[in-house]
Amino acid sequence: MDIVVCVKNVPFTQEADLVLEPGNKDVRKDNLAYVINEWDNYAAEEAIRLKEASGGSVTAVTVGSEEDEEVLRRCLAMGADRAVRVDPGDVTLDASVTAALLAAAVKPLPHDLVLTGVQADDMNHGVVGPLLAERLHLCHAAVVNGLSVNGSTVEATVELDGGQEELCSLPLPALLSVQTGINEPRYVSIMGIRRAAKIDIEVASPDSLGLFSADLTPDLTLEEMYLPPETGAAEMLAGDGPAIAARILAIIREKVGGSNG
Amino acid sequence: MPIERTYFWGIHAVPVFYVLAALSVVVFLFGVYRRVSVWLSAPRGRPRRLGFSPRGAAMVAADGLLGRRLFRGDLVAGLMHALIMWGFAGLFVGTVMSTVDHWFVHYLTGGTYRVFSLCLEILGIMLIAGVLIALVRRYLFRVGRLENKAEDVWILVLLAVVALSGFVVEGLRLAGQAPATEAFSFGGAALSRLFSTPARATAAYPYLWWFHALAALGLVAYFPFSKLFHSLAAPVNIYLAPQSGRFSPGAEAGEGDDQAASGPQFQFNELVSLSACTRCGRCDAVCPSASAEEPFSPRSFIAQADAYSRAVAGSAAPLGRTARHLLGRPAPLPGVPAEQSWFCTTCRACLEVCPVYIGAFKPVGRVRISEIEEGSGVSPLLTKALETLYTFGNPWEPSKRQRTGWAEGLEVPDVTAGAQAEVCYWVGCTTSVDTRTQKLARALVRIMAHAGVSFGTLGQKEGCCGDIARRVGEEGLFEEQADKTAGIFRRYGVSEVVTSSPHCFNLFKHEYPAGAVRFRHYTQLLDELLGQGRLAPLAPLDAVVTYHDPCYLGRYNHVYDAPRRLLRAIPGVRLVEMAHHGPDSLCCGGGGGRMWQELEGEKKLSEVRAREAAETGAQILVTACPYCLIMLEDALKTAGLEGRLAIMDLNEVLGRSLGLLGDEGG
Repeated sequence: MDIVVCVKNVPFTQEADLVLEPGNKDVRKDNLAYVINEWDNYAAEEAIRLKEASGGSVTAVTVGSEEDEEVLRRCLAMGADRAVRVDPGDVTLDASVTAALLAAAVKPLPHDLVLTGVQADDMNHGVVGPLLAERLHLCHAAVVNGLSVNGSTVEATVELDGGQEELCSLPLPALLSVQTGINEPRYVSIMGIRRAAKIDIEVASPDSLGLFSADLTPDLTLEEMYLPPETGAAEMLAGDGPAIAARILAIIREKVGGSNG
Repeated sequence: MPIERTYFWGIHAVPVFYVLAALSVVVFLFGVYRRVSVWLSAPRGRPRRLGFSPRGAAMVAADGLLGRRLFRGDLVAGLMHALIMWGFAGLFVGTVMSTVDHWFVHYLTGGTYRVFSLCLEILGIMLIAGVLIALVRRYLFRVGRLENKAEDVWILVLLAVVALSGFVVEGLRLAGQAPATEAFSFGGAALSRLFSTPARATAAYPYLWWFHALAALGLVAYFPFSKLFHSLAAPVNIYLAPQSGRFSPGAEAGEGDDQAASGPQFQFNELVSLSACTRCGRCDAVCPSASAEEPFSPRSFIAQADAYSRAVAGSAAPLGRTARHLLGRPAPLPGVPAEQSWFCTTCRACLEVCPVYIGAFKPVGRVRISEIEEGSGVSPLLTKALETLYTFGNPWEPSKRQRTGWAEGLEVPDVTAGAQAEVCYWVGCTTSVDTRTQKLARALVRIMAHAGVSFGTLGQKEGCCGDIARRVGEEGLFEEQADKTAGIFRRYGVSEVVTSSPHCFNLFKHEYPAGAVRFRHYTQLLDELLGQGRLAPLAPLDAVVTYHDPCYLGRYNHVYDAPRRLLRAIPGVRLVEMAHHGPDSLCCGGGGGRMWQELEGEKKLSEVRAREAAETGAQILVTACPYCLIMLEDALKTAGLEGRLAIMDLNEVLGRSLGLLGDEGG
């Protein structure tokens, strides 16, 4: 089975002190470390596992600059056979433009199954997967936390709200957007990444993919980005045990509202 | 009748004996070739330099011939081994001497022969006595650390049969022949009195002679296929021990290869060590993991790794290839104990007690390298730690900026900002980031300032030395970190480094390429300052303390006395020792990457240690390693020892005595 997995290099923002670019249209990223988008890591692992179990090929695709090839080399080290980078040049990216670029890149690749992450850790739109499925005219399921391929169909477990799950069957070729926790992604060693550096990464551009500016007009316009307003700081309770206990009780009464039952 | 040795008395088919003897020698040589070819199957073959090592030779004499380590802690085992070894070796030499006497130079006559036969008599009795002790220990007293396999009983029985039948044969001949020299063959002579008539003895003789000959030849043939092979492998391993005492993986998983090698790539010295094991179990008895009933045992690990490497080398050898060709399928390889390898704390206790210097942590490291390359067996916590280390230069925090947070409010010169300093203080990842261990650094900085040491740190430029990467087998990441760190030392002209952690210290000292930088652990610097009278005035601390030797300070670097001198220098401090201390120290459970593993055994290693400390009646358990500090501190809570025992770093104890920690409360 031939699988295409779409991956993205994203800035690591947990525990980082974010600073906005002048003009408030973006976060300053030059001081941030980049890592593979967490969801895509699970999607890539799932693709490699399917290949290891039943053969075929895995092609990793990303939209990004030359520096973002690190994410493709990581996928190659995991066990992907091919890697394609779509260089957007100066095209402004939103979910729809990203989906258009990915669709043009994926179309000529052999694909019985296309996997994406549910969302990307930077903008959190969560729609590139479904948009890509539409453009490729594929059946799709989103937020998949389990899958198995049976002949010409794929059984996918879809995570719903409130701990509910839905089991659905899709004809191949299909697109699934993968949720974290679907597997335990393997460790990718530095030696492995260095070895993978010898595999050539194919580079495409909007031009080479035959896309025109009309296809590459964002649906969304970013008006402004701002840091969330600071909320009240935590109150540190001081004093001896009984005093702290009394204060906790008072806070609970205050929050719960009155009755001491 | 002349006084001389009798050969082939009444034996007619002498050529048959020599054909069989030649056959057993061929089988012996083939077996030895098979085992040695496993050593040579190492990716880089035998070590490039095999020059004469006086230290290796001295160790072979002391530990091989005299069996120094066999006697340590187990006199009976040492005696048993000496009797069997010298009995066996002596009888072998005697046989060679007889062959020379019979076929080449007839010299065993008269007085010489009398002394010769007396010696053989004594050697035979030594061998039998040794085997008896072994049988009694193994099957009557059932010494706990011995595991009993079929091989163990076979070898002992075979040795006993060969030796006893030798005496019987001699007795029969003496009974039948009644020569004048029997007084010197007292064993055989004693037996000869049991046989009724010379005629009967003469009739029985050929049968017993052949029985003895076949048993002896069988033993020779069986030798290299059994644990007896250790007689050849152990001296080699002991000889190599001085140069392979440290785990030094090469770049065998290197960039040169397009494909990651599948399975662990044991190196020459490791393959020798695997084949030198006799499964005596001393390692299991001291292994903190095995003792805590975790699913790891150094002895089984060695045995499994040996079986694996023999199978791999065997299937690659011409004979193996032919067999595979004929069978049309590859023989299944025995499993490599990959999951178990993560339990090893690399504490080196196994190497410390092994009579022939086998350290299980070395093949463990090799298995981990292949596990890291394979990737799917790496635990999520370790994966996260390594990825954090790769991206942020430390295994703990996804940020580079918290590196100097520990020094808030203290005067700490930054070498990278132009400060002049004689000593570069390498704080280390754990010490910088963990709130408990930060106190270690704060105390040390104050002590150095108090003693007038010209010191500075690398500030935000300090990264990870790469120890955790190397210990868990992430060679590529280790190389990256080591290159970065060595580059920083060069750029800022660092020539003298003092570390918080024994782990960084050990890695710098033994696993970085040799350079101009001198590396020391802080206990060594403080010991020097104490000697110079610069740690003064030390105010009395009225406390009973016990000292926990960190593995990488003690066993790896033999720093046992400096920390104790420092503690004893404080007036009022009474130092008591735990049951396990010095080279026998018990690991806290944090080493070898265990800090980043979610492994649970029957007992927590750190609790075992904290309880042992509490049993001494000490109020303070002092250590000199950030891992130990964290592990033991955590263990206090879970073992219910809070309030009874305090865990402190040596720096904190000294800082308190020097009156430097007033506001730290530590």
